[in-house]
Amino acid sequence: MLALEARDLTVSARIGAATVPAIRALSFQLAPGKILGLVGESGAGKTMVGRAIAQLLPPGFAITAGALLFEGEDLLTMAPARRRALLGRAIAFIPQAPMTALNPVLTIGAQFDEHLARLGLKSRNARRERAIAMLTAAHLPRAEDLLTQYPHQLSGGMCQRALIALAFAGNPRLVVADEPTTALDVTMHPPILHLIAEMQRQHGTAVIFITHDLRLAAQLCDDVIVMYAGRAVESGPARTVFATPAHPYTRCLQLANPAMSAERRTLYVLPDQMPSLVQLQHIAGCHFAPRCPLVTAECHREEPPQVAVTAVHTVTCIRAADTFGISTAGRSFGPPALLEQPLLRVENLSKHFAISRGLFGAARTVAAVNDVSFTIAENEFVALVGESGSGKSTIARLLVGLEQPSSGRIVFDGADLTTPSLRNRTRRAASLQMVFQDPQSALNPRRPIASIVTQAMEAGSRHASAEDRLKRTKELLAEMGMPADIAARLPGQLSGGQRQRINIARALCRVPKVLIADEIVSGLDVSIQAQLLSLLARLRAELGFAMLFISHDLSVVRHLCSRVLVMYRGEIVEQGPVEEVFGNPQHPHTQALLSSVPPDEPGATWPLLRAN
Amino acid sequence: MAGSLAHALRSPRVLLALAMVLGLGVCAIFAGFIAPHDPGEQNLLSILTPPAWAPDGDPSFLLGTDSLGRDVLSRLIYGARTAMLVAVFASFGAMIIGTILAHIAGYFGGAVDWIIGRLVDVWMSFPPVILSLILMVGLGVGLDRVILAIVLVDWTRFCRVLRSEVLIVRRHDYVAAARLLGFSHWQTIVREILPATLPLLITLFSLEMAIAVVVEAILSFVGLGVGPNQAAWGQMIADARQYVYQSPWNLLLPIFAIFFAVAAFNLLGDGLRRTLDVRLAQAER
Ligand SMILES: Nc1ncnc2c1ncn2[C@@H]1O[C@H](COP(=O)(O)OP(=O)(O)O)[C@@H](O)[C@H]1O
Ligand code: SF4
Ligand SMILES: [Mg+2]
Repeated sequence: MLALEARDLTVSARIGAATVPAIRALSFQLAPGKILGLVGESGAGKTMVGRAIAQLLPPGFAITAGALLFEGEDLLTMAPARRRALLGRAIAFIPQAPMTALNPVLTIGAQFDEHLARLGLKSRNARRERAIAMLTAAHLPRAEDLLTQYPHQLSGGMCQRALIALAFAGNPRLVVADEPTTALDVTMHPPILHLIAEMQRQHGTAVIFITHDLRLAAQLCDDVIVMYAGRAVESGPARTVFATPAHPYTRCLQLANPAMSAERRTLYVLPDQMPSLVQLQHIAGCHFAPRCPLVTAECHREEPPQVAVTAVHTVTCIRAADTFGISTAGRSFGPPALLEQPLLRVENLSKHFAISRGLFGAARTVAAVNDVSFTIAENEFVALVGESGSGKSTIARLLVGLEQPSSGRIVFDGADLTTPSLRNRTRRAASLQMVFQDPQSALNPRRPIASIVTQAMEAGSRHASAEDRLKRTKELLAEMGMPADIAARLPGQLSGGQRQRINIARALCRVPKVLIADEIVSGLDVSIQAQLLSLLARLRAELGFAMLFISHDLSVVRHLCSRVLVMYRGEIVEQGPVEEVFGNPQHPHTQALLSSVPPDEPGATWPLLRAN
Repeated sequence: MAGSLAHALRSPRVLLALAMVLGLGVCAIFAGFIAPHDPGEQNLLSILTPPAWAPDGDPSFLLGTDSLGRDVLSRLIYGARTAMLVAVFASFGAMIIGTILAHIAGYFGGAVDWIIGRLVDVWMSFPPVILSLILMVGLGVGLDRVILAIVLVDWTRFCRVLRSEVLIVRRHDYVAAARLLGFSHWQTIVREILPATLPLLITLFSLEMAIAVVVEAILSFVGLGVGPNQAAWGQMIADARQYVYQSPWNLLLPIFAIFFAVAAFNLLGDGLRRTLDVRLAQAER
């Protein structure tokens, strides 16, 4: 018997007077003990499938057709009491944001106790035993102590382990894991994925694994469904689908992802973004048509039917035979950096933060950055990588002057910037600029776009005229590849990718010598990321600036940068040309970072997942 | 900002409040044209006349007269002028001082924040009415003294609430970004932070007007207000106390006037808070 089967599952949203399908006629079969991956970018409808199974749809959404059979019984038509008995027991969920999924006012022990009591374990002692056994199985050390702790006392990775233990505590027959590693640090990804895979094997559970990472899905899943705008555009065995993608969207996503081992190549830039439900109403025929490189007139006429590539591999496209022809041109490297002349020299930079520990505790200092030295040459793109909390952002804030160093020097163009003076501040503003990670927070929601991108022109006592600012706005928007008519809009009216471009444009208003970019593509969809990465490479060629690119995504670093600095606990533990460092990592932390990236080839094995 | 103001003007609560405030404003500004009599003119032949609709009423004194034969309607209208003058200027003064200190404290943080925070704490440890009474004893009576006393007492209200708002706004990266683009501290506060705190500021200002009306009435009631030559609602209540059985209207009408003004400003403040508060509005959406 199948663990879960969806038959033409349709979820619709009410938008004004119209109903728009958010999931349309989705069908799949999941056998016990198998992992089914749902992949695609945000807005594809992946999470909606999980919510449909949990019967927790957002307001305005409803399941309007189809069936969802759990071990042969339809979840949609069964008695509510029966469904409640299944959810949380036979069907368990692993959430995306572990820190917020646990109740902050209850100890881990209390939450296990409550859950196990609901599962029908009568004796208090038996519940405690079981909780300890599950936490130990989730590789959490000192499980007894853990039971008395509150969620905020644990790291994100530990919370997620506890939640996984909680999910598997009831011996579920189906687990839905929605991007279980997205909110966690990169170095935490492999162990968490490993744990899910291990638990799944031990308990013989069927898993629906939702992710945007194609390489990860290829490693972890047995079968995958690639989703686009609410439709399953391609499905089949994971390795087959990714080795021989038949739908243009799957192929483009793969080509938009920078490679980790193969020759560096230009990224495939899918134009635009996933249509919203409102936009979807106005797209006739194939939903992917507005962005598809293979589109023909016929694609607009009607929705393409599902066709079989092989017995197990299906695709929803009328030109699937041509998909493999989509490719990108070879890589063009930017102008070589002038390494003999470092533009920015950081010498023995340290930053200590004082943290007072309660009323009577002695003041303690932490070294967020400890004796760090590096250089950046003109036009050079240097990457700064490391796990979160390693001090990357602190270095960025020290460079631009948002924090004062405890010791050390920052020499720019021959002058020491660390002595605070008005002249240094002006120099900094003109030559060092920073792009913040989160455009939501970095863009003043009350300023129109035109005012944001030319904000540098209203600093100090000299004010640029309105015409000058408007002229510069037009130039900058054109530079960013954005339409001029967004100049009058507010940040809230733009999409995430557009906002990040505005964020970059503002820093480039008076073209700086060095741009400091703190995780500016993290959390963005692959196609948006590819757009921004190509934009940065083009801007360097046109405007000429160096960049310190802070990231935890090594494939992005490899694609964009020529040199890399690896940080670990406030220190730079390894640095050198990207090819050398990645090809032959010396420091254990560099090795750990590298091994946390799934291999490019869908057929290759990823040692981390298969181990033990 | 313009958009949210337009949004606020569509709220019936705000519209009703604005109409009430407008009525008070018209009375205050055009008191000389509207009032049928001089508010100080004593008519010793017709003291304690009941309102015109009562059996012994006199149509030339629509709301009757007080114990000195002064026209109650005219005194109410001139009392509105006193109340509005105090409300506007006292709230404005308290707002200026409180806002400046709140922005300095919240923006710079550290020692500056600590000093301003302690100052507010000490200030707020006095009950406000007692503090203003003490101040009035020291300052002497008069319209300007009443305003000064309220400013000195109530700036802390603005300072405390706005400071925490500034702290929230300050955490946004766009404030740091402005500094990196070369904005001075002053420019950053005025162009990046103040626009974000403005809705709260407007709301607090409106609520403060209601408080100022009440404080002015209390001070006038105990004879430490605007002085005997100026009509004030608190004074009218004090005068009418002894004749409450002969002419209850003389007591009820000024009480009603105070109630009306306080309700108008509270309603306005509440309505503005609901429509202007960006975070609240987003959460509801
Ligand atoms: N203002 C601060 N006060 C105290 N500790 C801080 C402060 N800023 C950063 N830290 C600490 O410094 C370390 C490095 O942080 P950060 O530079 O943000 O790392 P990353 O950017 O690599 O994630 C962390 O342990 C962090 O908690
Ligand atoms: S049906 Fe046409 S538009 Fe749709 S994916 Fe295939 S080729 Fe592209
Ligand atoms: Mg960081």
